Amino acid sequence: MTDEELRTEVRAWLAANWKNDLPARADQWTVGPEQRAWLAKVVEARWAVNRWPSEWCGRDLSDAQAKIIEREFAAVKAPGAGQDRTHLYAITALTFGTDVMKAALLKGMLTGEINMCLLYSEPGAGSDLAGIRTRATRDGEEFVVNGQKVWTSGAATADYGMLIARTDWDVPKHNGISFFFLSMKQPGVEVRPLRQVTDESHFNEVFITDARVSADFLLGGLNNGWRVLQTALAYERSVMGDGARGPRRAGDGAANDLVALAREAGKLDDPVLRQDLAKVLSYRRLNALNNARAKADLAQGTSSSIMSLGKLAMSRILHEEARLRTALLGAGSLLDGEAFPRADDANFLTLNAYFTSIGGGTDQIQRNIIGERVLSLPKEPEIDRTIPFRDVRAG
Amino acid sequence: MSTFTAEDRAAMAESVRRLLADKGDEAALRRAMETPSGYDAALWAELVELGVAGLIIDPAYDGLGGGPVELELIMEEAGAALLAAPLFASGVMAAALISASGDEGAKERLLPGLARGRIATVALTGDAGTWTPDGVTVGAHSHGARAFLDGTASFVLHGAAADVLLVVARVDGGFGIFEVAKGTPGLEITTLPSFDRTLRLTKLDFHHVPATRLGIAGWDAVEAMLKIALVALAGEQAGGARRVLDMTVQYAKTRIQFGRAIGSFQAIKHMAADLLLEAENATSAARHAAQQLAGGGEADEAVYLAAFACADAYSKIAADAIQMHGGIAFTWAHPAHLYLRRARADAQLLGAPPYHRERYLQAMGA
Repeated sequence: MTDEELRTEVRAWLAANWKNDLPARADQWTVGPEQRAWLAKVVEARWAVNRWPSEWCGRDLSDAQAKIIEREFAAVKAPGAGQDRTHLYAITALTFGTDVMKAALLKGMLTGEINMCLLYSEPGAGSDLAGIRTRATRDGEEFVVNGQKVWTSGAATADYGMLIARTDWDVPKHNGISFFFLSMKQPGVEVRPLRQVTDESHFNEVFITDARVSADFLLGGLNNGWRVLQTALAYERSVMGDGARGPRRAGDGAANDLVALAREAGKLDDPVLRQDLAKVLSYRRLNALNNARAKADLAQGTSSSIMSLGKLAMSRILHEEARLRTALLGAGSLLDGEAFPRADDANFLTLNAYFTSIGGGTDQIQRNIIGERVLSLPKEPEIDRTIPFRDVRAG
Repeated sequence: MSTFTAEDRAAMAESVRRLLADKGDEAALRRAMETPSGYDAALWAELVELGVAGLIIDPAYDGLGGGPVELELIMEEAGAALLAAPLFASGVMAAALISASGDEGAKERLLPGLARGRIATVALTGDAGTWTPDGVTVGAHSHGARAFLDGTASFVLHGAAADVLLVVARVDGGFGIFEVAKGTPGLEITTLPSFDRTLRLTKLDFHHVPATRLGIAGWDAVEAMLKIALVALAGEQAGGARRVLDMTVQYAKTRIQFGRAIGSFQAIKHMAADLLLEAENATSAARHAAQQLAGGGEADEAVYLAAFACADAYSKIAADAIQMHGGIAFTWAHPAHLYLRRARADAQLLGAPPYHRERYLQAMGA
């Protein structure tokens, strides 16, 4: 099919089917019935994953032709196309899953019938993710899973979780991990909301006690989980936008504008504060300029080191903005809550800045990554890398 | 409007980079900085040959007709190599000021010479070193058709080597730009000892010095010159910052202590990662300012952002570079201090970061 024929076909289909009348989603973890109905149509018409093979809902198209379809969907603001680039869970399933698992889950994932979550981090395995101690033990055609996971978004509504668990304790830590799709809807899985430092509950703890998973839902083979995880993390990073949040209250212009806040606080004439204000404003501006340059470089085919710096930059922006807000409010920041929205913003942002500087890899781990992958500095010796995991010190 | 294509630009930057690697390396720089003039005349001649001296001069006056984007890119190369030459004084400040003066006669008389390597410089601030209207301490008085200058200008780059001095002076309650030839009676030039040994700073004392005013240009022309010069300086800072960081990272890969390359220690690695962010910020800010200025629209915000962001980044990177090297960089023989000296100089020339931060806020209406 030529590009033009394809474009005509997708346009005609969208014109006939897309009404642009979907209600807004309640939250990012669940897909409402109207969205599901639309996604089902998209999947049925084979527009969801155009680069994929036809046996798995795709069209075997080249990247260039797939982009034509995605552009047409984007032009009319229709969701659902391009999931072969953006659906982290489906991509992982397609790449590493067994045919039994793909037949059972793939379509449901693409239509939003099946919700997913990530079961990676543990209380004892944060920065050192390969140090997980959740165990999966073979029992006939199944594995029995025991352990505890944490920092799981959307666990309460998830049908399946992408789980890493230890399947061999007698080999070095990276070599004894396996990757599963674990059903969350079973008696051995208990989800407890985690009350965060901001007093919100965005994340959950997941307690897993004698939960069961079929060997068909093991991805990439036994003890090959670390490799599957690296691939999944790479997909995740490539689709993750800037997840940093502003103040709790959206749409409040003054709260989002440090200059307005300084003016409101009567401190816009304070020369010391003006210096501070200019510095803090410049951090966000410089980050935007970096991102624009990285994009331009990428468009010209030259790769850029800037992308890996974005998270570090954003951490500084958020912490510094929160610090400045607090300085502007002075004793006003002692107060909190709905009745004192400026204080509430400053206080919330002060604590929520750690979401970015700790979540998804701490700034310190990020500096290691930049040092080693971008600047090619040598790695630190790892004393636990080559010994059986059983003998690795924990605490 | 510049007619350079992206390829032209890259080719020119590449030629300058090669020339400086070949004839403007550290040894050459150290030789040049010990001479009275502070620069290598043969290297300057080769740069002139490449067109660098007339890079931003209109082709009508024998220049290449480049704009801020080309200038910034070339200055990144100059900064990386710590080029000691009258490029910034003559090819940037003087060329930009004459071009902005609106005096066709002066352009015809002066610009072709500058493009061919004749050296001019700009005398702007007095001892206060502010590069603002307040800082000007030379006054002009008219006697018939002639003007005479009295007062002092300081921090003048290459004042002793310059054939032509362009002096910003107070006149009739405003400002004017005056041309003074080298050796004019009543002009006293003192070379000042400078912390950055690759700079040549001079103080000019005027005692009833006859001068020619350039048209009716006033502070607007000075302001226009300063913006181009700030973009050039930002490019120099971004280029220098990048090079001294590269040197430091390279050293951290080869210097062994405790049986390991020191770059494997997080104490060093994390500093390097933070400095990489600073270096990228500087490059983005400098290039963005150049693009804004080239676009002809409102560029103040971008220019002042680049001015303080690049100054701060270069100062931080050059300072940390010495710390990360350790003892070796505490020696005169090691080049790290040359970068720190240049970073500290660049952070003062044309105004210090706090001043530019204030202008940045004002430009965004705060």
